[in-house]
Amino acid sequence: MLELANVTVRFGGLTAVQDISFRMGGDQVVGLVGPNGAGKTTLFNVISGLVRPASGSRVLFAGGDITRLPLHQRARLGLGRSFQIPQPMHELTVRENLIVAQRFGAGRVDPRKIDRILELMDLTDQAERDAANGLALQELKRLEVAKALATEPKLLLLDEVLAGLETVAKRAFMAKLRELHETLGLGILIIEHDIETISSLCHRVAVLDFGQLIADGTPGEVFSNPDVIRSYTGAEPVVENAGVGHA
Amino acid sequence: MNAMRRTAFALLAVLYVAVPAALGSNNYLMGLVVSSLIVAGVAVAWALLGNLGGMVSFGHAAFFGVGGYASALLTMKLGIPVLLAIPLAGLVAVLFSVAMLPALRLSGPYFALAILAYAQIFRILATEMEFLTHGSGGISQIPVLPTIAGFDLSSRTGQFLLLLTLLAAFLAAYDAIRRSHYGIALRAMHDSEDATRVVGVNSVLLKSWMLFVSAFMTGVIGAVNAHVINFLEPDYAFSGIWSVLPIVAAIFGGYRTVTGPAIGAVVIYLVDQLVFKALVSTGHQIILGSVLALMILFAPDGLLPLLRNALRRMRGASHA
Repeated sequence: MLELANVTVRFGGLTAVQDISFRMGGDQVVGLVGPNGAGKTTLFNVISGLVRPASGSRVLFAGGDITRLPLHQRARLGLGRSFQIPQPMHELTVRENLIVAQRFGAGRVDPRKIDRILELMDLTDQAERDAANGLALQELKRLEVAKALATEPKLLLLDEVLAGLETVAKRAFMAKLRELHETLGLGILIIEHDIETISSLCHRVAVLDFGQLIADGTPGEVFSNPDVIRSYTGAEPVVENAGVGHA
Repeated sequence: MNAMRRTAFALLAVLYVAVPAALGSNNYLMGLVVSSLIVAGVAVAWALLGNLGGMVSFGHAAFFGVGGYASALLTMKLGIPVLLAIPLAGLVAVLFSVAMLPALRLSGPYFALAILAYAQIFRILATEMEFLTHGSGGISQIPVLPTIAGFDLSSRTGQFLLLLTLLAAFLAAYDAIRRSHYGIALRAMHDSEDATRVVGVNSVLLKSWMLFVSAFMTGVIGAVNAHVINFLEPDYAFSGIWSVLPIVAAIFGGYRTVTGPAIGAVVIYLVDQLVFKALVSTGHQIILGSVLALMILFAPDGLLPLLRNALRRMRGASHA
């Protein structure tokens, strides 16, 4: 489904991502973790097309090379993404946000499907509200996912979509993501800091540190890896019950 | 059809009949009304690019001048009928706007300045290409608007009706684009371009289309103007006034609304010419500038939203 081959990103003299190779299937939920500044969002930007990687880097999706493909074409191929800081489309209602996403991402407008997405993401009551000014944080986060769903994606890139949510809201959101994965068969690549969340949600975890991939495996393997503990968690690994979310 | 549209159609019908009936015999006043409609046409085209495309242009004089010259040359050199040359001139303006496509990569003041530079380049070209444009000497005796089915379009009333029809068509097109999915996406792009691109919107393509539509409209108005005044010279056709006055009019009327720029243009032009000019014959633009400054300070959304809010308050007070 998604393959990164020798991906490097440089901003002037700074190497934000260095020679990362990574592959994930469309049937997986994969967590991308790492300390702040490790290069996680930059990697998302490379995959979705916001940042162009250095020469020699390759991004493959659904069997094709998308390294040089513009952002909008990647979305039409089935790459849906959310932003760390929610980016609702200004001047539009929640419903109009989804109409734009569906019309241009999926190539058609199906009002019934939009209603279903609104219902799925618990946004029916907010559908006619101003998306940029009328929503609470957790509603904005749900809208981020709803917009991506409206494009009819094959793979969802979720950038800290659970960050800032209270425990109850976070659990409900996680349940929603599981439901999306199981009922729609969506692949999910998610950036998240909370180890417990990652452990219960993901089949696999990839760890970045200083722009390099330092570990890749099941949550149990990764969070007991001494390199990961040293560079990322700074705490004892959570080994028990790890990776049972989809086991 | 909603109440707003019904009102617009009714107003248009009244304008078609009432203005010629009331002012038709006064050549001077009809001339001013015709000029105000020319500014209104460019203001609508400018606002379409600014409001929907999110691009503030300081160079619409380029399209206006190109449209004027194209129509003059098509009619005089190739003998193309005036009414066919006018839309063709719009297409020529679109063709010239293709040269501006690289500027779409820029945003904000950089785009505005780049377009301003294009307008200057076109003015210089029109001056230097003497074999085609007669240089700074200009082109005179440009054919007047024709007579159709016994109705003389070159009369002030004819010019008025033609321009009002074009303006109505522009406003209808603007409204249709704004209501379409493309219009919704364009509005969303202003403050959240990445958010729209990431869901599949080809922002560069949509902006390009808005540039083309805006260039076409401005080119058509420039062409009509050439056949109204029957004379063109580079300093007039590409004058900065064709870039600045539509901006002032659109902001005054409310550039976020569809009809605001047109209403703003007519009000500003007529008030300036009939009132401010009578008060201060030289430098009357100072009053205009002051009024605009006050509008920006106290009613930044423009005249039309100001009137709408006042009406709502009056209705609210009468219901209370």
